[in-house]
Amino acid sequence: MDRQFYLDLAARGLRMPVGTDLVMNEESEPEKVRNNGAALGRVVVRSARRWGTPLAIPLMDLRLEKMDLLALAGIAVTDAERFHFTALLDESKLATLCADQTVALCAGSVARDEALAYVATQQDLIPVGMAIGPFSLTTRLLADPITATALAGSGVQPEDSDEVKLLWQCLRVSEAAVLRSARSQIAHGARAIMICEPTACTAFISPRQIKAGSNLFERLVMEPNLRLKAVLDEAGCDLIFHDCGELIDPMVEAFANRLHPVILSLGSSRKLWEDARLVPRDVVLYGNLPTKSFYSDGAMPIEEVVRRTDELIANMKACGHPYIVGSECDVLFVAEAQETIAKKVDAMMARVVPQAG
Amino acid sequence: MAQSPELYDAILNGNAKKAHAVTQAAIDAGVLPMDLISETMVPAMDEVGRLFEAEEYFVPELLLAGRAMKGAMEILRPLLVAAGQKLAVRVIIGTVKGDLHDIGKNIVASMLEGSGFEVIDLGADVSPESFVAAVKEREPHIVCMSALLTVTMPAMKTTIDALTNAGVRTKVKVLIGGAPVTSQYAKEIGADGYSENASGAVSLVKNLLAVA
Repeated sequence: MDRQFYLDLAARGLRMPVGTDLVMNEESEPEKVRNNGAALGRVVVRSARRWGTPLAIPLMDLRLEKMDLLALAGIAVTDAERFHFTALLDESKLATLCADQTVALCAGSVARDEALAYVATQQDLIPVGMAIGPFSLTTRLLADPITATALAGSGVQPEDSDEVKLLWQCLRVSEAAVLRSARSQIAHGARAIMICEPTACTAFISPRQIKAGSNLFERLVMEPNLRLKAVLDEAGCDLIFHDCGELIDPMVEAFANRLHPVILSLGSSRKLWEDARLVPRDVVLYGNLPTKSFYSDGAMPIEEVVRRTDELIANMKACGHPYIVGSECDVLFVAEAQETIAKKVDAMMARVVPQAG
Repeated sequence: MAQSPELYDAILNGNAKKAHAVTQAAIDAGVLPMDLISETMVPAMDEVGRLFEAEEYFVPELLLAGRAMKGAMEILRPLLVAAGQKLAVRVIIGTVKGDLHDIGKNIVASMLEGSGFEVIDLGADVSPESFVAAVKEREPHIVCMSALLTVTMPAMKTTIDALTNAGVRTKVKVLIGGAPVTSQYAKEIGADGYSENASGAVSLVKNLLAVA
């Protein structure tokens, strides 16, 4: 789609949370909705309409690609979240996991795709897909991903360490899995996809190692995401890039300038108005109110939500960079705090008055 | 000055192979295991913590240092057991029921172990009953609980309630942590402390038990 579409949304004062999980949990049996394409599609549409956004953002369920990938290895969906690769993969297994073929997807992925197809029938909405990024999926496939990454960043070569070799193998199969997911979502109508790379951050990739000359961020994060971006570009599907992890400036710059998403969504550890200098003017900044703390009135009273929203709006207006006010990540449903979360989302939304257009 | 500067540097630089080798060499040369721990390894991990607080080290450096420390402890632990010595403080740690995220918990466990505490890692998705059973069986000084998700945080309170109902709550200090957790939440559920990172967790344990 034309990049100008997103810039216009920002100019009109669009605000929206990533809040489909909240809406889904208003259903009597939310977990059944999760795996039912039509019902999920209706929830996604209802979420978009509630917050007055043409961007129909789906659930941020970052487990799906792992489930689909592990299904190829014979691991049941119910065991997927606990599963980690502990031994090196042989070439035959690697070929299976990297296969560029249509495979049976898990129920959640099927529902996600069917929901996209349903959203695509709504003339006024843009079907947005969702997928975990290749590096973040890699970290979910390993029992101790930070150590493996740190070892690689310290210069340990795959031939000297099975941990490091497995890291690279997992990255390879993860990239294939994310590409399969993206292609499937595009085939079902996605016109933009939100790629989530929350572990592409300083907790996993050491700024100290980068400073010392490690090219790990480039190899683990940028290279697979650039290949993914090329696939999206070829299909005419826009990239919305999300990373709510702790970042350093060069990481933000790389995401903004080299991945060049239509929207860059960052976590609340960043000051968007300061990041604006790192981001091209044709990339809309999205976020980044601390919605992970909304459950607690002690940690995040509603007055503080209002104050932070006003601060964000004032500073973004002052810097003049296109922005959309929203959440730092998925606003997850918490049973005991449903009301307090909803009130704070409403308070955040009420601080921005969208312009007609 | 560390008793073994080589071991100190190996831990600081996260070099597990070297830490293992120089520890063995020190033992072979007659250095007492407890002296190595208290005069070299604990100061090294203190320095790692200081560098982390100063934002010169990041989580990957913490883990590599913890790994180097662990490599050294593999040599020392059997010697301590054989000599009838034990580490002064025992900590039980786990991610609460319903939560499978264990990276943060692993980092804290590694740092605590690296700081000379005995750490019993119960793993992820640990039920309140399992925490209670472990407290009864292992008699720790500290119980650490982790949760990454807002939806699993309530299990921290459930676990504290279970410890109270089992009559063991007053025997342990309970610390909590994890991305969505706050000091306010810790107070609300009756925990004894909260830390936002692994280095802080080590300081908190030391403060709570007044361990030098």
